[in-house]
Amino acid sequence: MIIGNYIVAVFLIVLGLYAVANQRNMIKIVLGMGIVDYGVNLLIVSVGYRPGGTAPLFVANELLQGNFFVDPVPQALTLTSIVIGACVDAMALSLVIKIYNKYHTIDSTEVRRLNG
Amino acid sequence: MSYIHFPIIAVMLLFLAAFLVVIFGTRRKNLRRIIAMTAAVISFGLIFYLIKPVMFDGEIISYWMGNWQPVEGYAIGIGYEIDALNLFFALLVSFTTLFSGWYSLRYMERDDYLDRYYTLYLMLSGAVLGLVLTGDLFNMFVMIEIMTFAAVALTAFRNWTAGALEASFKYLVVGSAGSSFVLAGVILIYAQCHTLNMAQISSILAGNEGLTPTTVLAFGLLFAGFGVKSYIVPFHPTAADAYTAAPSSVSMLFSGMVNKAGVYAMIRLTYVIFRAMDISAVQCLLVLLGCVTMFVGVTMALAQHDFKRLLAFHSISQIGYVITAIGLGTALGLSGGLFHAMNHTLFKGLLFLCAGAVFYAAGTTNLDKLGGLSKKMPKTTAIFLIGAFSISGLPPFNGFASKWMIYQATYEKAVTTNNIGYAFVTVVALIVSVMTLASFIKVTQSVFFGQLKAECAEVKEVPLSMRIPMWIMAGICLLSGVFYNKVIDWLLNPAVAAAINVSNYIDKMMGDGYAAAAGIRNLEIQGATLSFWNPLMWLALFVVVFFAVGIVIVTGKRSRGQVLTEGEEPQAKYDAFFGGEKALPSHVAGGDLFWGFKQNWKGYFRFMQRAHSGIVNDYALWAVAATAVFIVYLFIFVH
Repeated sequence: MIIGNYIVAVFLIVLGLYAVANQRNMIKIVLGMGIVDYGVNLLIVSVGYRPGGTAPLFVANELLQGNFFVDPVPQALTLTSIVIGACVDAMALSLVIKIYNKYHTIDSTEVRRLNG
Repeated sequence: MSYIHFPIIAVMLLFLAAFLVVIFGTRRKNLRRIIAMTAAVISFGLIFYLIKPVMFDGEIISYWMGNWQPVEGYAIGIGYEIDALNLFFALLVSFTTLFSGWYSLRYMERDDYLDRYYTLYLMLSGAVLGLVLTGDLFNMFVMIEIMTFAAVALTAFRNWTAGALEASFKYLVVGSAGSSFVLAGVILIYAQCHTLNMAQISSILAGNEGLTPTTVLAFGLLFAGFGVKSYIVPFHPTAADAYTAAPSSVSMLFSGMVNKAGVYAMIRLTYVIFRAMDISAVQCLLVLLGCVTMFVGVTMALAQHDFKRLLAFHSISQIGYVITAIGLGTALGLSGGLFHAMNHTLFKGLLFLCAGAVFYAAGTTNLDKLGGLSKKMPKTTAIFLIGAFSISGLPPFNGFASKWMIYQATYEKAVTTNNIGYAFVTVVALIVSVMTLASFIKVTQSVFFGQLKAECAEVKEVPLSMRIPMWIMAGICLLSGVFYNKVIDWLLNPAVAAAINVSNYIDKMMGDGYAAAAGIRNLEIQGATLSFWNPLMWLALFVVVFFAVGIVIVTGKRSRGQVLTEGEEPQAKYDAFFGGEKALPSHVAGGDLFWGFKQNWKGYFRFMQRAHSGIVNDYALWAVAATAVFIVYLFIFVH
């Protein structure tokens, strides 16, 4: 059921944002960012879904009358988005390592030299 | 010579140079400089060449990647489309790239790993240039992500300085939340329109089902996402951290083009894609956000003790002016906003370069440790004063002309809509301008004038190769203030016309008659006028001054010293007196200069300083909460 996809997508986005806003452990913040990405990716794929559609691979003579594809554009967008999301997580985690080396903590409430 | 390929070459050249620097420039110091600067110069030249066809002849350039033209009225390829509005921002971007690169040749020479610096610098420049030139919504998202990446890495470049790492982490967390909002908004628009081309989306949304709940939600998400990228108020604290921690040449890139890209995306979203600027609720939202942004920015700047952090909050404050002006939805307002965006690129870039020069010479940007540098660095002081006069809006510098246009536009809006609220906006804009001047008096006093600190005795003037780009920018600040009419004729009027005449934009991209078929008409606009001697304006100014004096008198009445009750003798310890000895000259530190003002407002300042807690969770919470508020507001007021 496609409506379930949308509900789960919104749930994942909200859950991820909740984690980003409430978790004090920086690694959990990064995980929250990842969960937001997954929610958005699920939303993208769901938007391109058409009931009964086949995979968008066109081979000559294979597509029979009455068959149709799901929308291929959102799938391409999802691939791009997944790659970007992986890069964001990798970069954020590497920053967390650097912060741990410097501050000796990954508690976000103690990493606040720049304030006011 | 066909110039339709110029925009894409300008973007690709920067990306190509980024890879070439990695391959060839790791060891060879001069080669990487040559590669980076060649790319920046050629890119600027190509964009500059387009002024004639696009700005003067009114042509719109459309370019389909791989020549994938639209089929049966549906855009299937990725398109670049350059009208005067794009080109205006592209000029700012490539100008900033060129001058920041020029300055960093000398400024960054003491750092290690410079091949990575130039790679990231070129990636950032290419991403922002691509963002402003593209005509495809998803391409815009990709460029935003590359921009955020490069910006985060550049923020952490000097990771030995205090706070660079935490600033970049905060920037990454809030920035990627903003990017996720943009992506979700893009995909919801795709769900409705089945296209990603901005021109086609604009024509589809004009139809009957223009504003469905889905598109309103998409509008809210995109609005918040672009708000994160332009650092308007609930999203601003990470920007202040990033500007402070990054090297000065990078801070110039941030304030000169990264937040301009957010402003551009905001204009494109509200004026072109949704054409929402005739909805008064959207206007009110933008103007309100702009006013809050400029006020919070300038008051936070008054409380700072670091040169660059102070400039960062001013940068946020000036973006507030731009957002207010574009939110008015009038031709005069939009041209004032664009003019101020351009001037902000010039004078704020100049001021960040001055801060960099101070750091290069004295090794610190802490206002309490600096003093009397005008004796050691007279030329930098002169350049800094030009920048400070420009940002404070003193005639004849450019800040005066653009701020005056914004005052006029808000006042004109108050007259035409008969809404007293917009006159109040004028008052806020004027007061913020006064406070800007006040805080620059503080900087000038505590860094350049006063007594020379003992720590600064060994300071030397910065080398000429750093001063040349600064002098050129200072010269442009003066020239664009004196010849404001030329700027309006050559750059602003075409850009404003492009933003308002959406049907030309759609027709060029999708084929003639496409916009008319979707029922889009051009709006009639008048050219922006700038009249310095409108008596009503001066009346408004006098009212403001009257109220300002009144507030000072009223708040000053309250006694803060000794309270005498009946029959009590006044005690000498409460009197103000000077000692019997000869007073020694002492430096008035920046923190003391506006002590009285801060004392009167101490509740507000204490609240704001607690609010800017430095904890990343708080900033993320603000961003999410603000997004939720925008969406709820739009659902209530936009039908």
